[in-house]
Amino acid sequence: MKTPDTYDALVIGGGVNGLTAAAYLARGGKRTLLVEARETLGGLCETADLGDGGLAPMVAHTLYALDPRVTSELRLTRYGLKFALRDATIALLKDATHHLVLPRDIRAAARNIAACSKADAEAWPRYHSALFALGRSMRALWWEAGGKPAPNRLIEQIARTGTGAWLDSWFESDPLKALLAFDASALSPLDAGSALLLAWRAAQEMCGLQASVAFPAGGPGALSLALAKACEAAAVEIRTSCGVAELVIDGDRNCGARLHTGDLVTAPLVLSSLSRRTTLVELARGAGLGLAEQSAAGDAPEIAAAKVLLALDTIPDGASLSGLLKGRLILAERLENYSAAHADARAGRIPDDLLMEVTFPTIADPSLGSKGRHIASVLVRPVPRDVAGGWEASKTAFAAKVVSRLNSRIPGLVDHVVAIDVLTPDVLHSRYGAEPDTVDVSRMMADWPARVETAIGGLYLCGADADVAPAVSGRPGRIAATLAIAAAGSR
Amino acid sequence: MRYDAAIIGAGADGLAAAIMLARKGLKTVVIERGDHPGGLLSTLEFHPGFRASPYADEIAAVPPRIHWALDLARRGAIFAPAPSSLAVWPNRHHLVSESGSSPAASLLDAFAGVRADIVARVRKQAGRSQGGMFSPARRQPAEPWPGEPWTARSLHALLANALADEDAAAHLAALALCGRSADPFLRGSGLHALAPGSGHSGVVMGGLGRLADALVRGAEDAGAEIRFGLDASDLRLDNGRIAGVALVDGSELETRNAISTLDLKRTFLSLFPWQALPRKLIARVGAFRMAGAAARVLFALKSPPAFTEPELLRGPIHAAPAFSQFAEANLAWRSGGIAGELPVTLRIVSAADPSLAPPGSAVMTATIGAVPFRLFDGAWTKEKRDILRDRAIAAAELVFPGVTGLVIAAEVITPNDMDDALGATEGDVWGGEIAADQMLDLRPWADPGAPRTAIRGLYLAGPSSPLGPIATCAAGVLAAEAVMADFNLAPER
Repeated sequence: MKTPDTYDALVIGGGVNGLTAAAYLARGGKRTLLVEARETLGGLCETADLGDGGLAPMVAHTLYALDPRVTSELRLTRYGLKFALRDATIALLKDATHHLVLPRDIRAAARNIAACSKADAEAWPRYHSALFALGRSMRALWWEAGGKPAPNRLIEQIARTGTGAWLDSWFESDPLKALLAFDASALSPLDAGSALLLAWRAAQEMCGLQASVAFPAGGPGALSLALAKACEAAAVEIRTSCGVAELVIDGDRNCGARLHTGDLVTAPLVLSSLSRRTTLVELARGAGLGLAEQSAAGDAPEIAAAKVLLALDTIPDGASLSGLLKGRLILAERLENYSAAHADARAGRIPDDLLMEVTFPTIADPSLGSKGRHIASVLVRPVPRDVAGGWEASKTAFAAKVVSRLNSRIPGLVDHVVAIDVLTPDVLHSRYGAEPDTVDVSRMMADWPARVETAIGGLYLCGADADVAPAVSGRPGRIAATLAIAAAGSR
Repeated sequence: MRYDAAIIGAGADGLAAAIMLARKGLKTVVIERGDHPGGLLSTLEFHPGFRASPYADEIAAVPPRIHWALDLARRGAIFAPAPSSLAVWPNRHHLVSESGSSPAASLLDAFAGVRADIVARVRKQAGRSQGGMFSPARRQPAEPWPGEPWTARSLHALLANALADEDAAAHLAALALCGRSADPFLRGSGLHALAPGSGHSGVVMGGLGRLADALVRGAEDAGAEIRFGLDASDLRLDNGRIAGVALVDGSELETRNAISTLDLKRTFLSLFPWQALPRKLIARVGAFRMAGAAARVLFALKSPPAFTEPELLRGPIHAAPAFSQFAEANLAWRSGGIAGELPVTLRIVSAADPSLAPPGSAVMTATIGAVPFRLFDGAWTKEKRDILRDRAIAAAELVFPGVTGLVIAAEVITPNDMDDALGATEGDVWGGEIAADQMLDLRPWADPGAPRTAIRGLYLAGPSSPLGPIATCAAGVLAAEAVMADFNLAPER
């Protein structure tokens, strides 16, 4: 057996947060090793060839939460990060010919809403400013490592209000509420505190715009490439095809990790970008964590999201969709769809009315298409983590359901599908090691150290679920690295 | 006729308030739309010779200090220790005895403790402030509300984490959700642990009617007037203050203080012309969610059903409770449907109070949860009511095989009937959906100004008030105390 390799810091996982953490650690003077179990970097932010159909955003398909400080401090623009579209519209496809489109312009959006309800159109500017004001006042809590939750009655109130009750208190028309609810659909609209997710979305700043949604040029994989270049420039050592078998813990301190190859890596700082559960329950199994820490790691998630990718030889244009295809399209009828879908998903059933967000990345970014082909990228949420009978058995029926539902809104689409890939929660787990996003409202209200630090000294979490709410933000990577460097310096 | 205070509704809260006020020498009238007192506590004959409480068998406990302050024991209302509760599944059962020391019993103790804390805290706070419920000046209290930790949890997590035994957890969920509808997996559903059934519920020896009788006699002895058949149509305002109660028959009671024991929606949306109230108040009350979900089936039985341990017949018996069943039933309820499986709790009420049935026979009640007020496919027809009766009988067959043959008569009470009979909006006898935002923000429980309201001279008791669903009589006493405090201070008198 070789003598162990020794580093100042070890980062587990080469996704956006792992890469970000490694870059910050290296820039902070730490000799850093990043290990990634897969052959490629990027994790869930991956642009890959969909068989014969051109390049597709495999899992994440939009960016809405990328921390602008990560972009500027790691000089990602210099390393090639560009945006094909910085401010996508969002539209609800009511049926084959009727859509509710919400552009960013408040008055234009209100005019469109007026077709559904005059009262809602009047409420829209007020809702918009209330939500953004709320987002701004939450910024202190989520922006800096030392941000302390300032007592704010309105935020506390939102933290116990469901999306359903919150939207009902503003609006009357079903299509508008169904459209807005998708962004918080990781929780049921009846879950106390799900409204906080909406406020959190409004607090995000992308490309200098609050609550905007952007498409990187070259797909989400372009962000991973830029981050990898930033790591390279900061002299991070990166090993791919290199998984971690377990963490090596001495007393209550982490001192390294054993790799799948059997090699030992010692490092006083270990930052894991895997989920809290995977890190604490599977990797740190030697630590003898008590029940309290185990239960803090959370229950196994029951609600998940699935991804369906369609390669199309053309996009049928009968549905007066032109102009909308650049943005996000939501398929939902009313708020009640979401609560019913959550109840179904929790019981292990695929919901009857699938709730979907569709993007056509090849429209905003023609560089992704090849031979005139287009990609439809469909996020379906919620779906069950485990289907009764297993996902493998339901996968075909699920894909058919997604396609036929899409076809009901975009007639003729079914005739143009040339390839399809279905990323069920099982596939996301086996291919990417990904667990479904878990949203914990109490953790959203906690401060950063509570989300990033663990009971094991020197072990930090920097994955998406250490963020306020799971998203592609780079923020947990940045803040975990900052806190780890500060703690190592003070020891 | 001029009164110092008028109380709308002769239920437990209204009568308790009347006792307190009349004792202080205030000229007090209680007006009741129906022809009998008691409200939720009523006991009525549903079949010749057979009587039962049509709307509930179980109420929230009367806090001991209030019980003695109202002098109820001397008038015959004696609280019995809560009986054992039984949950029965096709091939097993689970028993919780509150006097026992099982983990389930300790958990129920803890739940009851939190309710007692809430009562104590709300009482301490009342009378401190001149602000009122829904008035713009209200402040957030500094102390956390004792039930706060439950607002962040699901009922399932709360019970399953505390109890290793799955049957025990499902059983306690049945106690909390009896006659209600909630998805126990949703965050915030932990608040249902506040339900009167989960620990130390109020069981009156000889039936709920005894409590109603004791309250009526107490009110009459104190000198309060109780008038039946009077239906309040409007609260008349003068310069923003209550000036009188207009009645449906066109007459009017003159008073500057009114205590409403109706729920929030009935009080503000049907007792006032809307233009008389601030728009924000109307919007807020309009957004308040009711969650009527209880149906009851009253059975007259030829004889008590055979049961191995007759002592257990004194308590509730839950038919095959399961977390997934509650979740599925809630899903159907939300869309106005009747789920394939409904949660049913049975009670042989004549076991505890033989006077309810002729000698040798028995009365059984079934409390069914997740029954919608509004059906998606129209009205509550005879056929649909029969579905409820059949569900109740099927559940009873699981517990008492052969009971079908004993049934002489069955009476079905839907949430609509509760709305009609009790004036409970959408049949919600708990005064509003139990959810985190409703509890702490919309209701609001922890309001320092409660039970005063934004309307001077109007006090809210009853189910939607801060103590409504967690303690019987307490909301009425609290309102009476506020009236008395304001009376002494009010310069206009």
